Amino acid sequence: MMDSRKPASNGSSHNYSTTIKGLQLFIADLRSSQYSDEHEKRIQSEIVKIKQQFDSAAKKSANGKDKLGGYQRKKYIAKLAYIYVTSNTTKLNDILFGLDQMLELLASDSFSEKFMAYMTLEFLYEHAIVISKVRDKVTHQLIKDISGSNDNFVALALNFIGVAGKLDIEMSKDDNLTTEVFQILRSPTSTVYLKKKSALAFLTLLKTNPGILIDDPQRKQLWIQRILSLLDDTQNYRLMLAVLPLVEYIAKNIDLECCIRLLRQLTQILYNCVIVGTSNSEKFPSEFKFANVPNPWLITKIVSLLSILIVSPTEANNTSSAVLQSSNIDRETLGKLRMCVTKAIEVGTKSCNDPMERIVLNTILFSLINFASKLDPSPEAISNSVSALCSLLTSAEINIRYLTLDSLVKLCSISGRHAIDTVRYKNLNLIFHILDSERDSSIVRKVVDLLYTFTDSENLQIIVQKLFEYVQSSRHPTDPFIKSDIAVKIAILSEKFAIDAHWYINVSLNLLSLTSNSTLNDDEIWQRLCQIVVNNTSLHQITCEHLVDYLRETHTSEAIVKTGAFLLGEYANLVFEKASVGELFNLFTDKYFTTSNVTRAMILTTIVKLYRFSTAIESVVIKFFQIELNSLDIELQTRSFEYLNFVQLSKLNGNTKLLDVLFSPMPPFNTRSNPLLKRLGSLPSSGYSSTFSESIGSLHGDKDRSTTPPTSFSQASGRPAPPRSRGTKSASINTLASEPMLSSGWEEGFSRMLSHRKGILYTSGFLRVIYRITNPETENLTRLKISLTFINQSELKINGLSTEINAIRTADNPEYVLRNIEPPSSIDVNPRGRSEQSFEVIVRKTFSVIDSPTVKVYFSCGGSTNSIVLKAAIGVTSTITSSAAAKNTISLPQFVTRWKTLREALGDDGEYILEKIQLRRKKSGNPDGEYLRSIYQCISRMGFNIVEQTSVNNTLFIAGIIHTKSEGSFGCLIKLKYDEPKREVSLTCRTTSNGSLAQNISECLKYAISN
Amino acid sequence: MEKPLRDIQMTHIKYLILASRQGKVRLTKWFSPYSPKEKQKIVKELTPMILARKAKMCNIVEYSDHKVVYRRYASLYFICGVMPDVDNELLTLEIIHRYVETMDSYFGNVCELDIIFNFSKAYDILNEILMCDGSMAESSKADVLKHVMTMDSMEGNDNLDRVLS
Repeated sequence: MMDSRKPASNGSSHNYSTTIKGLQLFIADLRSSQYSDEHEKRIQSEIVKIKQQFDSAAKKSANGKDKLGGYQRKKYIAKLAYIYVTSNTTKLNDILFGLDQMLELLASDSFSEKFMAYMTLEFLYEHAIVISKVRDKVTHQLIKDISGSNDNFVALALNFIGVAGKLDIEMSKDDNLTTEVFQILRSPTSTVYLKKKSALAFLTLLKTNPGILIDDPQRKQLWIQRILSLLDDTQNYRLMLAVLPLVEYIAKNIDLECCIRLLRQLTQILYNCVIVGTSNSEKFPSEFKFANVPNPWLITKIVSLLSILIVSPTEANNTSSAVLQSSNIDRETLGKLRMCVTKAIEVGTKSCNDPMERIVLNTILFSLINFASKLDPSPEAISNSVSALCSLLTSAEINIRYLTLDSLVKLCSISGRHAIDTVRYKNLNLIFHILDSERDSSIVRKVVDLLYTFTDSENLQIIVQKLFEYVQSSRHPTDPFIKSDIAVKIAILSEKFAIDAHWYINVSLNLLSLTSNSTLNDDEIWQRLCQIVVNNTSLHQITCEHLVDYLRETHTSEAIVKTGAFLLGEYANLVFEKASVGELFNLFTDKYFTTSNVTRAMILTTIVKLYRFSTAIESVVIKFFQIELNSLDIELQTRSFEYLNFVQLSKLNGNTKLLDVLFSPMPPFNTRSNPLLKRLGSLPSSGYSSTFSESIGSLHGDKDRSTTPPTSFSQASGRPAPPRSRGTKSASINTLASEPMLSSGWEEGFSRMLSHRKGILYTSGFLRVIYRITNPETENLTRLKISLTFINQSELKINGLSTEINAIRTADNPEYVLRNIEPPSSIDVNPRGRSEQSFEVIVRKTFSVIDSPTVKVYFSCGGSTNSIVLKAAIGVTSTITSSAAAKNTISLPQFVTRWKTLREALGDDGEYILEKIQLRRKKSGNPDGEYLRSIYQCISRMGFNIVEQTSVNNTLFIAGIIHTKSEGSFGCLIKLKYDEPKREVSLTCRTTSNGSLAQNISECLKYAISN
Repeated sequence: MEKPLRDIQMTHIKYLILASRQGKVRLTKWFSPYSPKEKQKIVKELTPMILARKAKMCNIVEYSDHKVVYRRYASLYFICGVMPDVDNELLTLEIIHRYVETMDSYFGNVCELDIIFNFSKAYDILNEILMCDGSMAESSKADVLKHVMTMDSMEGNDNLDRVLS
């Protein structure tokens, strides 16, 4: 059947002596019964018959005679097993009566009977109820069979443990059993066949209960040495294959260091397979080849073990234990490993006629290319591997294309810049071509992931355009999931990297207008757009004008109607020239009857808001609400009733005071991080559906927490009424785009770090980072210690937390240097758990705060790989004398004298003026004096001295001393003016240095006070 | 008891399902611990999803939190759930292929009916190739066949004993 390549090798192998006639008849009977009730009847009658047989046998065996006989018993059990299998386990309860006879059969001395009993119990062990009934007797029999002399029985028992051991934790806790299994593994007299089985059986037990080795240090050391020595014979490929998974588990979970000694021999085995095996085919035993390729299974197993033993240079900084990295591997071994990678690329990309052989060669290629990043590859080597991979993108074999894309996604996120540059500058068109021509959604998904990994502000527009073309094109299969996935990615990318705000608005609205398909979960996309528009005054008018255009079209997507309902309700006054309130009212009431109830509810609110802008539409508004009083939907009815009352009340009062209070303009949102990001983490990875559903759950959670108590008009809390989470800060897309490589939301923590010695540096759904700045030596202010704490915010465990902390410059007399970088205290973090790390900064010269160290954080959580890039703000102001003792207060006359002296001494050179710093800190209701007060506090927290004076209003006179290690200390004086009506700050800074110090100080101040 | 078992998720192959073109399940093997409910869900969701895919599409699908590698041989679909990032998907295809090759040699041009009538043999051969957590126990086809044959001859002896006694 299945493979045309293989002729039936040996017809006589069909061994009819093994068949049980009664069973064959029964199966044939069942197959011939066409109807399900007939089928069911046949099964039931068979069960009744078997039960009778077993019952009478039980009675008779009480007299000491086995009347049933082994063959009959085997036959009946086999039938029960078939019933279990063919009914898809639904008949479990009907066959439980046979358990006693199964145990009887298990104790038989006949191989075929014992085999049947073990096999049937393997099926049934899936059910806890079965285990609880037969556990003791089965375990007893297992020990008996393993310790016995019949190798075939030992094999059956080991096999059973390997299959069913994970289902019963008690089995792995049975010391006799584990010891027996280990004896087979270590005994020099065991056959290879039994050793293999025992290796995997032991692995099953160990996985179920790692305590077997962990709890007893002496046994741990001894047993692990025995297990590792099984690999000493580098030619015994048969045994190796089964032992490697066991060793891999030990290296990963029990004791990594003891496995390091394997490096040389593993490398040798790999070398024998990859280099010797592929070039000199006679030297490699043909039995271990598959499709003419030497042992692909073994190669991938070894590579996966080596990947655990060797850490890449980036990981190395953060690992304290003595694991291997490329720098401490001897030259010969490293050379051999690199040769293997080169060879794999060579054979993996050459043309080859046999399709199976090509697939297998590619298997090796993928496994080694992913491993190559551990060997500290040069930029050229990375670039070469990526180019080799890209050449496979045109492969005729679809699986190869898929895996190539998969590998590229991994390489781009692990190897970074060099890999990414090779893909984006040399192969972008090829990738677009695949996106355009591929029909398989598995592949398209990977293409989209790949594009997502290397999009930045430079190539954003072209990539978004191509993605749009894909979504819009009717040629592509309508897979709703992939379209929704692309929509989310477009939204995230354009928010993250857009430089041109108008382009961003165009793209977002275009996106929303496309996603008319109701299966798309696009609520988060339009809600996010609304948040951004509300927070950016400059976008209000242009967005609203575009929305009017969209609403004037006959077919408008529901998402656009929702966006329009919310934003035009807020800013209808900005588009009066384009559309009157009357027209807006008509537009919305037209759409009203074509949309869902959720949208209708939003439109009702919009109508009241429109009425606020112009009471002239009063009569139509009242009429409309009156009609909707009859709505069948209780929420719509309630809203109409309430809104109608508002309108009538304001008519009665002759003013809209009540409405003005109830529907006052929305303050800015404080949702800083894009909630859409939670849908995929920072990097795409597999496992969409799960992250998808989980994140939606958490989103709702967030919403509930941040929602203020419902106001009178939204009693139905489940309704997505216009989002009402209000805050004080905004996220401006202009600044988000300024540093394309940094994770969105970095700036807030960055600014905080300039004015607070400790606080939150970053927070997302996965991770929160807290910082703390201290001076290890109180006398030396240029030495700063930064401690970071990583807190797992998610419900899942975070694995592989690693960080990379880099200075902007390390050579050429750098402005600051990093020292004593400690790795994170633990690389795995449980939910709510934390991991800590610290590093030191020595400030040598003055520098711009923008050049502060970058902190990259990598981790995986719930199947997704994530990376966060932040800046730890260290500025020249971080060295200001801050202790109270050093604070010698200065008076206004003193300040004025020094101010003049500085001016005379240095002129324009030592001065820097910064004007029009916009304040974003807006606390509604607070008197304006509060702003100055908060600036005062902020600056004083930074360590500056502020002259206490009352003679000049709205002006602060500031003084401080900046310390650097190489250039010494400098004094600085700052005059800061606050322009109350404009809420703007301007400042002039003078220093005792004629370099860029004044500018650097001013920038620090700007970041600190503007956020 | 459910909890500690759940944490063991290092399995390479999570499960193997054989389904006919009509969607009938012929053989299932679970290497990862799943509750009966989860198993039903997987079988119910996965088979139609795989059957709906066209012949020229790639053999790897993302499903739930893992990947699924499948391959069709005549009327049977061999469907494997694998951990992402642990195992190589192509390798899984090769394991499936080796399983089919071995059954092919054993039954002599194996067909769906062979697997139905000799289900215990199909499980037995699979046990010889994959064990425990879906780790490969034996890659040599000859070796697997040798052991299956040994068992056959022993079963034959058992039958002979029975006739004689």
